[in-house]
Amino acid sequence: MKDPKVIVFTCNWNAYSGLETAGVAGESYPPSVHPIKVMCLGRLHPGLILQAFEKGADGVLLLGCPPGECHYEFGNQRAEEVVREAQAMVRLLGYGEEQLKLEWVAAGEGQALAGTVRAFVAGLNGVRER
Amino acid sequence: MSDTMRDVINKNRAWYCLDCGKCSAVCPITRFETREYTSPRLLVEKAIAPAGAQAHPESGLNQGFLDDLLFWSCLTCKRCSELCPADVHFSEFLRDARALARGVGRSGECTHGAVIQTWGRMMTAPDLAQDRLDWLDDGLRTSDGSDTVYFSGCLPYYDVMFNKLGAEGTGIAQAAVRILNHLGIEPQVMADERCCGHDQLWEGDFDTFRALATLNLERLAATGAKRVVTTCPECARTLKVDYPHFAGNHGLEVMHLSELLASSIDAGLLQLPGLGLEATYQDPCRLGRHLGVYDAPRAVMAGLGLNLTEMERSRATSLCCGTSCWTSCGQVSKEIQVQRLKEAKATGAGLLVTACVKCQIHFKCAQDDPAGADEVDIEIRDLTTLVADALRGG
Repeated sequence: MKDPKVIVFTCNWNAYSGLETAGVAGESYPPSVHPIKVMCLGRLHPGLILQAFEKGADGVLLLGCPPGECHYEFGNQRAEEVVREAQAMVRLLGYGEEQLKLEWVAAGEGQALAGTVRAFVAGLNGVRER
Repeated sequence: MSDTMRDVINKNRAWYCLDCGKCSAVCPITRFETREYTSPRLLVEKAIAPAGAQAHPESGLNQGFLDDLLFWSCLTCKRCSELCPADVHFSEFLRDARALARGVGRSGECTHGAVIQTWGRMMTAPDLAQDRLDWLDDGLRTSDGSDTVYFSGCLPYYDVMFNKLGAEGTGIAQAAVRILNHLGIEPQVMADERCCGHDQLWEGDFDTFRALATLNLERLAATGAKRVVTTCPECARTLKVDYPHFAGNHGLEVMHLSELLASSIDAGLLQLPGLGLEATYQDPCRLGRHLGVYDAPRAVMAGLGLNLTEMERSRATSLCCGTSCWTSCGQVSKEIQVQRLKEAKATGAGLLVTACVKCQIHFKCAQDDPAGADEVDIEIRDLTTLVADALRGG
């Protein structure tokens, strides 16, 4: 199948700086990956994640600050709650657990970030093409 | 559906409005909306005789009508229809006008980040492979050949969203199957059931409604069943009234579980252990004013040995739980919920029984606010789980 369509939500701080570092270092991930920057993953809502799937995403990956490093102190904890709720909903709708994940990325780790994204995309191989 | 505002007005008898204002006297939104004066009577006037505003040449819609706060916040609870001397079908009038408004890019403000509207649209995909029957535990018996289908509606989804409020979600579905088993019925449950489309219909999203209804009707026909039992009054109303009207005749008998229980008690097929508690009852709009089912849930409560003290407003004059279709929830909704919970507490009963999961979710949300919590703290239970628990204990 062609590359699965993936939405990556990154926070503005650790994860997005990781994305920029990855770009500078010439790291790559499949072109069907679309990063969307939000100020903090805690700003997301299960509704936004569900809408990504509704509009045809095969996977949604949330990249945020590791525990204790959130720019807003507790936004990443909020993100964990949001993603838990969204995971339970997309499971009901028949999506696999590999299709919605939350990962932590430390600031400036471009290589790790690109690797995380590539691993997520690779994990979607079994997902039926929509 | 209707092509123009004129059709919507004609069809729903809005021309007959006498301008008497009885609707305004009872409309919960009129009562609690403080930002501007709004009422069903005024909204009909704005639709028919737009003061100073030019109606759109094709749709017939005008700005003042579309911008009225009641346009999307009306609960379609039919309280106004109970009093209207001219038999204006106000709720249906607004439902049809909302469909027109969608055609010009308008929509209501979705509460909960539009999660519920989104899963409703996602369910229109014919090949969606839902995993929605996790709640069926080993003790519950279902079968493929039964002539009864239990339609669980959105309960598995609400369970995910609202268990943090302590709302009973799939517990209601489990209780329903347990009760049906007790009555000797091993119902069919559908793994690929869709949302019934109630909210989409009343919010004027007829396309999504029809898509959902078509899929449900296909699947219901495939079961070969003769009867559908629901625990949600909205599913009951939609399947019973709106599917035949908008989507297709299905020939199925549709009933809310409380109706089946009341007739079973009446026929001597169901004896319930007496709980001996003081309780009051919230009439869900869809079960009461929409379907006229007032006595069945009360008969089940009596069968459970619950001493019913009615609230100041009950049966046809009952007050809605404050929000409809997961849209426009806000201060007005909260005021209505608090008002209703105060009325429930004023009965002196320690238990508020509902027969609709949405009533329960809305009331529990209002109770979640620490401000004034002691004014609204009353235990809330769904009739279904009360019956199932009593059967288990008895």
